[in-house]
Order: sequence, then structure tokens, then C-alpha cells
Amino acid sequence: MSATAAQAVIGFEGPPDPDLVRIRDLVYQVAGIFHPDSKLGLLWERCGRRMKERKTKTFREYFECLTVKPNRRAELLALLNEITIGETCFFRNQAQLHAVRDLVIPTIIEAKAKLPIRRMRIWSAGCSTGEEPYTLSMLLLEESQRRLRDWTFEILATDLNERSLAHAKNGLYGSYGTRNLSAYYREKYFSPEGEQLRVQPVVQRNVSFSRLNLSDDARMTFMKSVDMVFCCNVLIYFDLASKRRVIQHFYNNLLPHGYLFLGPSESLYGVTEEFRLVHLPGATAYVKGERSLAGKKAS
Amino acid sequence: MSATTTTTKLLERVKDLKQIPTIPAVLAPLLRYLEQPVEDLDIQKVTDVIAQDKALAAQCLRMANSPLFGRFQKIDSLRTAILGLGFQRVSDIAMSCGVLNLTPKDTGGIDPVVFWEHSLGCALVCRHFARTISYPDPRKAYLAGLLHDLGIVVNLWSFPEEFRRVFERARSQRIPLHEAEQAVLGFTHCDSGSLLAENWDLSADLHAVVSLHHCSYESSEHAPLIAVVELADLLCRMSGLNYGYLENRQVNVLEQPGFAVLLQKFPALRDFDWARLTFELDSYMDEVHGLVHAIYRK
Ligand SMILES: C[S@@+](CC[C@H](N)C(=O)[O-])C[C@H]1O[C@@H](n2cnc3c(N)ncnc32)[C@H](O)[C@@H]1O
Ligand SMILES: [Fe+2]
Ligand SMILES: [Fe+2]
Repeated sequence: MSATAAQAVIGFEGPPDPDLVRIRDLVYQVAGIFHPDSKLGLLWERCGRRMKERKTKTFREYFECLTVKPNRRAELLALLNEITIGETCFFRNQAQLHAVRDLVIPTIIEAKAKLPIRRMRIWSAGCSTGEEPYTLSMLLLEESQRRLRDWTFEILATDLNERSLAHAKNGLYGSYGTRNLSAYYREKYFSPEGEQLRVQPVVQRNVSFSRLNLSDDARMTFMKSVDMVFCCNVLIYFDLASKRRVIQHFYNNLLPHGYLFLGPSESLYGVTEEFRLVHLPGATAYVKGERSLAGKKAS
Repeated sequence: MSATTTTTKLLERVKDLKQIPTIPAVLAPLLRYLEQPVEDLDIQKVTDVIAQDKALAAQCLRMANSPLFGRFQKIDSLRTAILGLGFQRVSDIAMSCGVLNLTPKDTGGIDPVVFWEHSLGCALVCRHFARTISYPDPRKAYLAGLLHDLGIVVNLWSFPEEFRRVFERARSQRIPLHEAEQAVLGFTHCDSGSLLAENWDLSADLHAVVSLHHCSYESSEHAPLIAVVELADLLCRMSGLNYGYLENRQVNVLEQPGFAVLLQKFPALRDFDWARLTFELDSYMDEVHGLVHAIYRK
């Protein structure tokens, strides 16, 4: 964060710019992605890039670009693009992954204990260039040595964008996407290829990529019996009505004990009546209504 | 030795007044002031108490300069602090510093800093939460959050060795601290805190918070205040404002007793945005961490 951005937030000059706060609240309202005060500097920079483009000088003017000017919908999308740009990388949300490993997986194992087939299905909806599903694959491979011995798992990875999917299937990554990768995972699951890293076949084996538009109602109903859905930083692009439809599909696709995960500061506030917010260690997730009533505890 | 005799012996040790922390000089007048109407207030007197303690005054300035307390200009003296932030905030700050100075030197190898981070964090979350739901007294909520785990200080002070075992058990099993206390000691920091609250002559509502926040308190006349603390405390423990480890469990805030208690008084809570509060809480973390380290490692 630049010095001025930091100042805009913690306010040597005063409290946060009220117009920036209005933009924050607007972005939260339409996209469900929240910038707490500590991240207002980020929003400040992201708006700044758009404001340069639009040749607007103040947050107040820019707020008008987003709300009353003729191209407001396009501008909002452009800002949301700035907000999510280059977001994806391996092991992006560590706290969420730890919660999955330590609490969610044991809970699912318990829920499926009586079933004859030991199988887990995970869906990465909006998987972009594949970092997210491959991360999940590595996490589950690690757990296969522990709790998930004798289990099979499959990761369904879908996205709208063909180019991203092609990149994902190819499995070759540069330094930016692999910046969070620890030496352990780098050595165990990747092979260097020039300057880049290639994911090994063992990681790819359990992941299947396919093109799927989350707004395609017909095809959405086919995704059945899922234990976890990861839909991180995708719903921001949807308006409320289509968001509700997608969420309803997730609800139907998930098994009764299933979990829905969003990006780190994304929420479904005002979007769903059926999913319940739950707090996991260091992260949040959504579970199906009735079940949240049985307070869960992992062994 | 049976569990009950251990319990009695440990609690006896707490009752032995030499073993428990005396109330810091600055806290007594501040607590009394809180119970008074603003008109009766002798600001000068309280300022004098703070100013007498040079270290405390310096800590207060450090805290007054944090964005968490709404600093909008550089504050370099107690006078400017009071002029700029108002007496109420400065007294909250002084109170926090007073509490932060409490821990004994020997804590059986536990780093007390994590408890202070949790307490200060919880205080801030209580205040913010109280404001958001239009709870009538956010300052009281702040104080209640700050003091709620006083019993942990007592435990650290009075039987560091036993408490270290409690803490290790809680951390390795990733269970709530009061469950580990119950299992190892036969009582919790609510019980030991209650003795201290009595000794310090805390007001009835703060006393109730200290002694009941992990118990069933729904019938207490102070239930709403305890409920604010219960929920804020839970959110802190499930996030970065925990005390050094994350409990491995799944929590639905709407199922907590505190939620039902508050819902009766504040119907707007039905549509409360818990996700947003959780994200906001994250934004306190770095600042709380910095403040507590600056003050504690003086
Ligand atoms: C910011 S990326 C998120 C990548 C990854 N989930 C993460 O959080 O790191 C957003 C992805 O959503 C995809 N997307 C947007 N609208 C979609 C739709 N209607 N159906 C499927 N995917 C969509 C985009 O193609 C893009 O790859
Ligand atoms: Fe407590
Ligand atoms: Fe606590």
C-alpha cells in the first residue's frame, strides 16, 4: 500500500474519505465483497486506477460514475474486475484450507461413516486457471495419508472461460501464481520446467476440468452429490437475481452435510434464506439450514 | 486428593488476598466515575491520577494515537488527548492500560500478551457490536469486554503452574479454555474472576459479566450486557483475536444463548450481518497486536 493510500485509511489527515466509504458500501451491496477499514487502502488503489481511466478526480465524482452516469453498469464491472484481477494463486486462502483439513473433512467423514462407498466430491465453481482445484487436490492427497486413507476423491473444476480452462489443463505456472507455495509442496508436487513449474500428473489425476456457465440452469442441475462447493470471487459478477439462482443450485447440488465456501471477504448477506453462516476456526462457510442446528465439534 | 479438595484449595489460594492482584491505582477512580452522571465529574482529578504515573501516561498517549481510538491529529500530551478525543475515550484508554499492566512476572511460561490482545480486541468488538445494534451503553460494553477474562489474570497470578497445564491442554486439544479449566482445575476463570471482581468492588453488571460469561446467565438481570460479551468473545476466539490458538469447532452465532437474549431487546438483530462484523473484526487485528506489544513490552 502506498503512503498516501495508508493515510487515506488510518487518517493522519482525518477519518477515511466518506465517499470512499460509500463506494465500499456500494461494492458490498452489489457484489457481496467487503473491504474492512484495514483494506480500504486496497480499494483506494483499485478505484484510483479506474479514476485515471475515467479522468475523474475525486471519489465523489467516481461514486457518481458508478451510480448515476449512463455507463454505470459497465463501470461497476470494470471496477469489480480491478478488485479481483490476478487474484488467483495456489494456497490462496490458508485459513480456509486449514479449516477444511482440521474440521470440515472430519465432519464429512463422520457424516458418511455408514455409507458403503468412501468417496468425496468437491466442486471448484469458477476455477479460473486451475490453481484452486489443484490446491484442493494436493490438500486431499496429503490427507490420503491420514484421515482419508481408503477414500477416493474427485474434484470437478468448471469455468466459463475456455482460455483459462486450457491453461488449467496444461498445468504450467509462473512465479506469480506459485508465490504462496511452500518448499514442501513445490518439491513434492511440481517439476521445474525452465522458469516455470508444472503440476505433476498425480495432482491432476483427480481433477476434471469442464466448461460450465453458472447461469446455465439446465446443466447446473446435473452437478449432483457434492460435499463441498468452492465458489470464490465469482459471484461478484452476478446481479442479485442470478446470484440467487446460482445459490439455489448449489443448495440442491450439495449433500445434506455439504459446505459452501466463498472468497475471504465475500458474504451471502441478503442473498439466501436457506444457507446458514457458520464460523470455522479462522474462516467462515455456509451450510444447509437444518443441519447448522446440530452444533458440530470435531474430534 | 479428590477433585473437590483441589478446587477448594486453589480457590482458597485466590481468596488469600496477598495472592491476587490489587486494583491498579488508576482503575478505582475511573470505575467510580463510570457510575456517575457526567455533571458530577472531576476531570482534573482523574487526569492527575493518570499523570502521576509517568509510564501509564506514556502508554495512554501511545494508545490515544491509534486509529482504533479515532485519532485524527497527533496527540502529544494528556491535555491534547482529552481535548481531542474527549474525556470518555481517554478514560477508556487509561482503563485499558491499567488492566494491561496487571500480569505478574512469573506466568509459568505462558506469554500473557495473547490474553491482552484478546481482551483489548474483545473490548473493541463489543463496542462496535453494541453500536451497530443500538445497544444503549457502548462504553459499558467496551469495559465489559476489556475485563471479562479477569479470571485468567487471577489464574496466572495465583497458580501459574496448574494454569500452564490447563493452557497446554486447551491449546493441544484446541478446545475452549474454560472447558480445559473445568477438566483440570474443577472450576473456570469465571469462578476465580468472580472473587477478584468482589475484591475490587466492581459494579454489579461488570461483576456479572466476569463471573457468568461462560455459564447459563439468561435469567440474570444483566443478561443483555453478558450476551454482548459472550458473542463478541466467541467471534474473537474463532478469529485472529483468539488467545494464541484457534478452537477447532464449528459455531453458528444464531444458536448461542446470547443471540436469543439480545433478539428479545433488539429485534433488528434478526437481520444482522454477521459476515460483515467478522470481516470488520479482522481489521482490528494488526492494530491491537501493535498496541499491546508497544504497551506490554515497555
Ligand atoms: C477471479 S476468478 C476466481 C478464481 C478462483 N476461484 C479464485 O478465487 O482464486 C473468477 C472466475 O469466475 C469465472 N466466471 C465468471 N462468470 C462466470 C459464469 N457465469 N460461469 C462460470 N464461471 C464464471 C471467470 O471466468 C473467472 O475465471
Ligand atoms: Fe472467558
Ligand atoms: Fe474471552
